[in-house]
Parts: sequence; C-alpha cells; structure tokens
Amino acid sequence: MEATREIYWNVGHGVILPMYFFAFIAIAVFLYGFYRRFATYKLGKALNRHDHLLQRISLLLKSTFAQTQVLRVFGPGFLHALFFWGFGALFIGTLLVMAQVDFTQPVFGWIFLKGTFYKIFSLTLDVAGFVALVMLGGLLVRRFFVKPEGLDTIRDDYVVHALLFAILLTGFVVEGLRIADTELVANPGLALFSPVGMLFGKLFFLGMTPEALSRSHNILWWVHFFLSMGFIVIIPFTKLRHIFTTFTNYLFTDLSARGSIATINLEDESAKQFGAAKVSDLTWKDIFDADACTTCKRCQERCPAYATGKPLSPMKVVKQIGEVAFTNPQAVLIETVTEDVLWACTTCYACQDICPARIEHVNKILAMRRNLSLMEGVFPGDEVRTAVNDIEVNGNPFGLAFAARGEWAAGLDVKIMEQDSNVDILYFVGCYASFDKRNRDIARSFITICNAAGIRVGILGKEEKCCGEPPRKLGNEYLYQMMAAQNIERIKAYGVKKIVTTCPHCFNTLGRDYKDLGLDIDVEHYSTYINGLIINNRLTIKPSVFEFTYHDSCYLGRYMDIISQPRAVLKAAGGRISEMEKSGYASFCCGGGGGRILAEEKLGTRINAARVTMAQAAGAPLLVSNCPFCITMFEDGIKINNCEEKLKVLDLAEIVAARIVS
Amino acid sequence: MKILVCIKQVPDMASRFKVNGEGVWYDETDLAFRMNEYDEYAVEQAVQLKEQLGNTPDVTVLSIGPDRIVETIKKALAMGCDRGVHIQDNASFRKDPWQMASTIAGFARDKNFDLIFTGMQSQDRGSAQVGPITAELLNIPCVTTVVGFAFADGVITAKRELEGGIRAVVKLKLPALITCQLGLNTPRYPTLPNIMKAKKKEILPFPIAGFLQEKELTATISAYPPEKKGTGVVLEGDVNDLVGKLIGILKEKTKVVK
Repeated sequence: MEATREIYWNVGHGVILPMYFFAFIAIAVFLYGFYRRFATYKLGKALNRHDHLLQRISLLLKSTFAQTQVLRVFGPGFLHALFFWGFGALFIGTLLVMAQVDFTQPVFGWIFLKGTFYKIFSLTLDVAGFVALVMLGGLLVRRFFVKPEGLDTIRDDYVVHALLFAILLTGFVVEGLRIADTELVANPGLALFSPVGMLFGKLFFLGMTPEALSRSHNILWWVHFFLSMGFIVIIPFTKLRHIFTTFTNYLFTDLSARGSIATINLEDESAKQFGAAKVSDLTWKDIFDADACTTCKRCQERCPAYATGKPLSPMKVVKQIGEVAFTNPQAVLIETVTEDVLWACTTCYACQDICPARIEHVNKILAMRRNLSLMEGVFPGDEVRTAVNDIEVNGNPFGLAFAARGEWAAGLDVKIMEQDSNVDILYFVGCYASFDKRNRDIARSFITICNAAGIRVGILGKEEKCCGEPPRKLGNEYLYQMMAAQNIERIKAYGVKKIVTTCPHCFNTLGRDYKDLGLDIDVEHYSTYINGLIINNRLTIKPSVFEFTYHDSCYLGRYMDIISQPRAVLKAAGGRISEMEKSGYASFCCGGGGGRILAEEKLGTRINAARVTMAQAAGAPLLVSNCPFCITMFEDGIKINNCEEKLKVLDLAEIVAARIVS
Repeated sequence: MKILVCIKQVPDMASRFKVNGEGVWYDETDLAFRMNEYDEYAVEQAVQLKEQLGNTPDVTVLSIGPDRIVETIKKALAMGCDRGVHIQDNASFRKDPWQMASTIAGFARDKNFDLIFTGMQSQDRGSAQVGPITAELLNIPCVTTVVGFAFADGVITAKRELEGGIRAVVKLKLPALITCQLGLNTPRYPTLPNIMKAKKKEILPFPIAGFLQEKELTATISAYPPEKKGTGVVLEGDVNDLVGKLIGILKEKTKVVK
C-alpha cells in the first residue's frame, strides 16, 4: 500500500461546506480589520514608496523568509526565526492539503500527497510543528519568566501565546488520535514519518476504544479548526498584525541614501506648515510604521539617550504616533511625544539600524523638531539659541569672528582658495577644526599628512561657513539652507573637483545633503582618503606599536558604512585594537550628534561619560576616533570619569601624522 | 495704537576690529553685522505689546544707515514689526547722537506715535543718548534702562535698572519713549512663516536729508584701541606651590602682604 493518509478522515467530506463557510467569514473579518486601518494611514502625506519595485520585492523576500533583520539579535531572533519557519511550514502544509483535496483531486483526479512525497511532507510538518512548539516555549519563558528590561507585556501577548500554543497542541492531539486509530497498529512503519503525532498517539491514546477515538478526534478537529480561524481573525486586531505590516514595511523600505531628509522648498509660498505638529503632517509611512512595530524594544535598548536616563525611547515615539493617529488624529502630536523627548535624540541611527521592521525613527523625530524650530522658534536651551544665532551671524556656533576661521593654518603649506585655487583637494575644515583649540591640532595633522603625500590642499578660510548640519538636525532647515547656499556658491566658484573633510557631519552634509541644493561633487572623509593614500603608496608611514580602542562615529559607521577603512589605517600605523563591546554598526554615540553638540545635557546621566566607561572597559590606554564632536565629547567624558591618567583620546589623523616618514 | 521701534545695525562684538583709514571709526572689512542687542529687546517688547493688544497696534521699525542695514530691518519685520523705514545714510557713523535723534524726531514728529521703543544704547558707539534726546525733541516723557514693562488701561508700568542693583518702578501715560535694557525679555527667534511674510512687508526708503538739518554737536577726533597696560598672569600647578607663588607676588608687587 502506498504511503498516504485519508484527508478528512473521521470528520468526513461533509465538513467542507461549513469549513469554508467559517473560513470565508474569518478572512472577511481579517480583511475588514485591515481595511479599517487604511483610512488612518491615509491621514499621512503622500510619499512614493513603490519605485524600484524589483529591489523592494527582493528586499521583502530576503528580510521576511531569511529573517535577516530579525536574526541580527541572536537569542530572541533565533527563537522567532525558527518559530516563523516552523509555523510557516505548517501553513504551507495546510495549503497543500487544501490544494489537493479541494482542487487537484476533484478537478484533475490528481493526488500528490502520497508515496515518498507524502513521507517527506508528513515528517517535515511534524518536525516543523515540534520546532514551532519548542521555540514558542522559549519565547514564552523569555517574555513571562526572564522578563528582559523594557519588554512590555500587554493583553495581546497573553492572547497570542495562548492561541498559538493551543493551535499547535490541538494539531498534534488531532494527529495523535488519528494515528492511534489508523497507523499505530495497522501501519506502524508509516507512523514513524509522523514522530510527534506517533508519540502523542502512543502516550495518550493507545488503548482508547475506536468510538472514543473517533468522538474525541471529531471534537478536537473542530476545536483546532476554530482556533486556527481565530488566529486569522485576530491578526489585524492584535500585535499579530505585524505578520502583514512588518512584511509590507520591508516592501516600503526607505531606499534613499541613508540619513536623507526631505529638503524643504523654502521658496514655496503656499506652504503653511513646516515639519510635523500633527500626524497629518507626517507621511502615511510614518503612521504605517507604528503598525509595523512589534515593540521588540531593540531600538530602545540601543538608544544612547534611553540608556542614560533620558525620557526618549524611539519605540515609544513610534507607538505614540500610532496611538494619536488611531485615537485622536487632530491632536497636537508633539504634546504627546513631548519636547524633552524630541530634543534628547542624537540622531545616532542605532534605533533605525537594528529595527527588524525597518521602521524609520530618526526622520519622525526630525520632522517634529522642524515644527518646533521653524513654526515655533523653539530651542532645547538658551545656550543653543545663542549658538544658532552665532552660526547665523558668524557662520560658527562659537560666536567667534568669521574672519578668524582660517587662522589655524597660518604658516602651514595650505592654500587659501581666494588667493590660489589650483589645488588637488579642497579641505572643508568645519567649525570645530577651525576654531576649537583641541580640534585645530587635528586639522594641522591632516595638513601634515597631505603635505607628506604631496597633495596640494586648499581651504576656503574665512569664506567657509558652518556646513549647517547641527542646526538642520535641530530642525532649523532655514539656517541650514542659508549656510549651504553660501558654501555651495564658493565651492562652485573655485571649480573644486574633490572635497575632503575631517568631520563626518560635514562629510554627510556636503556629500549627500548638498546634492539636493545643487552641489554634486566627490566628497570623501579623511579616514578613507588616508587609507587610499597608504594603499596607493602615496603616503609612507613608519608603524610604531600602540594599544588602542576605536570609537566608530555614528555618521561614519552606521550612516556611511565606513568601518573597516579607519581600522586598516590604524593597523598600518602599528595599532593593536581592543574592540569595545559596542562597535561597528552597534557603536554607542558620543552624545554630540543631532545638534546636541551645541546643547547642555541636562537630563539623565552624561552619554559621553557612559561611552568613556565603555572605552575604559576595553582595557587599552588610548581611545581613537574620527570626528571632532566625538573628540570633544570624550575629552570632556574623560574629565567627568576622572580617568585622565588612564585614558587618552586621539584622532586618527594625529596617529598617522605622528608616524610620517619625512 | 502706533508704535515706533528704532534699531541699529552694529558689528558683532566678536569681530576683529581695526581703526579705519581716517582714524575716527572702525574699518568695516571682515566685520559681521547684526541687530544691536538692546534693540532686539525693543523689537521684542513692541511685538509683545502688539500681541497683548490683539494685534491692533501698528508697529513701524526704523533704522538709519547704508544699504546693508536692510537685512537687519528684515529681521525686525520677521520678528513681527509691520513695516520698515530705512533712512538712507552711507556715512551714518559720522553722525553724533544729537543728529541721530534729530533724524528720528524729524521722521516721527508728524506721525503721532503713541509709544517709541529704542535700545538702551548701541553696542558700537554706546552713547545711550539717542533715546532720551529723541523724547526731548518730540516733547514726550522717557524712561531709560527698562528691565520690566507692563501696559494696562493706557498706563505703562516700567521697571528701571539703577546703579548698585537698585530697581525703580515708574508709571506713565502715553505717548512715551522707552529705552530697553538686557533682562527685559528674551527676543524671539523668527519662525519660517514669519520670515516669509516679512519678505512681503514694505520697507520705505527715505534719504536722510529730508529729516536732518542739524549740524553735529560733538566731533570724533580719534579712535584707537586702548593701550595695553601690563598683562595678566595665570598661575598653574599644585595648590601648595600656587599659594607660595601668590604670596611671593603679593609681597613683591603690593603692600598687602609684608
């Protein structure tokens, strides 16, 4: 006899009609549940997220079926991925049964669930069900017994856990009952291909009378059926909706260059609102994101503001947008989110980078900051108001004379573009390296390196202005564009071919954001530029051994994927690295991003001190970074931690400049 | 109610100042210009009063100087003033306070302003005379160095800052002139919609000759940076050593310690 089983054994083909009847009701409720949410998504402004469809679909398939984003946090990611694959296999198995019994068999007389294929089918589903059950158990232990910090458990979690357990268990019970009656005695060889069902049959149902087996099977078959329909019904009404919303969110992923923010058209006189005060000022995707959020708290866990006791949780912000959108869409969103929360963000991108649902946290916060800044003229503090005014007047946040901007280069082999623009690169110095005493050493080191490599360097000197990044991240698009226009005008006037920056913020701004304002030239960060000089033998450095730990600045690592190149440079210089626990894409912000470099940190503990503590834990006596904000924050953090004797901060350029062969 | 705010564009005080060729004023090369700090308080107070009175008052902002001052007038318009008056004068730095006040009074005399706000003084010349002289020329009462301002039922209650941290409260009726001091308010940062609205507000240009017939009463003979007299000394090192060093210096250079 060929291996197979009788579909609708015991319950009979008479179940088909009521079964499909209830199934259609379940699907109708399911569709209605999602349909009801569409009106709320539509409150948001238009945004095109259906370009590059093939790329989007491939992203969706990879992220969903390979669970790539979910698996980035291994423990719970592993449990979820295996559960997903197990439950998914069961779903596909059910579809195969349906396809055969209600389609291929009655229409073509084709039965495919037989023979070897049936054996594989049966074994696969049994294993899948078992794996799903065990993983669900793991998830349950984690949620209800381990209770990781920040993991909020709500009514949905009880319902979902109970329902999934009941579905998987009744599935095996129904299978066990069938096997006890049809296979354990009559066909024990076949039962081996349903090992879990066989075990259930042997352990619980062996010796039951055929009548009792039949009655129990009949009842439990329907119980299993209705539980499964219940599962479909509650998807749109509970956290389970993420099965569809997270999946869809992969399709709607932001494909623009990481860190892009819409450049506001300041000439548009019909515009009445800038930034987001209400949910209707956000895009539909921002509202949809709230539905795609599974409150896995990975973003919150990585958030430097949250970690240091500030009121910001990126997860909470995303959820609040959803709550306001679905319950009180006319309300002032910022009143719910609060200003303190919005100003606490360093735009470090750690939240967005790790999000398994590819939610866009940072731009939501920036959209609300834009409202605060452009519509209300609000600042996170008076010191920021002063700094912003200073940028407006003197083009730097220190309020120092703009004419003194190029003074750091006095006596160095650097050309001032105004006098001689025949150069290989324009070094866009930035405010910190131009004016801040500590960071001027870094600018000088960079010039030493360029001189050694025979590169002709020019600077704009007093014609250079702040790139505009800090005010932009504080929501002040107007001042950003004012600064950008002046810089772009000068850069274009000198016919510059290539720009190198020592500041990752300038680097991101000039290389990516200025494109929207008409500047499209090659911009490079000095870490990759120096790496290139070494690789191409234009720069020879004499390595001398040193122990260090390395801080990946957010705007270089997470924003620009520049992680290995600076390490390669430091290795070539003789460095032996001791990595911090949080490095590379998981790096922990210094606290200076998002315009926070201009603000006092009044809430919670200091982010820079927390990061310096992590650097101390790495054990090396030297902390190396690549960003003037980081250097400034760490110099300060070392003082706070009182560890000046044990830990020094140096910039990558300083390390290299000290090893130049002259 | 008609309000006039008088403002001046001044160099940012962090700028590197150099004496000009004639040796009577500063050279304008490499200077960044902004609104005189005290005038920002004046603009803010005028706009706050306008808002308090349901936006009924009409606020005119006036400034005297070359074309570059239009940027500063625009800032005042973005903060909420209704119209700008640009009294054109490419050599305004040569005018003494008497001439500045005469110009303002010449403009304001027939316009029946109920209230005039000015800064307490300018950050560059710092005479602190333009406000009071203007009031005198217009024959209206004047309160200087105001750090608190309230208006109710046609009566101004102004808090003045006096020497030695003493404050005085003055009540007066309209019309009046108020000169504004640090601490009066926090000038607002113009919102983008207001910056855009300001672009459409009128800025009326007038040649200064139409309002000024007076000769200067004072003449600048020479402008120069103060002579350097001695230098500061910063002592660094261990506290115990520092005490010794300090006592040494005090003994050597003063009669405080013997």
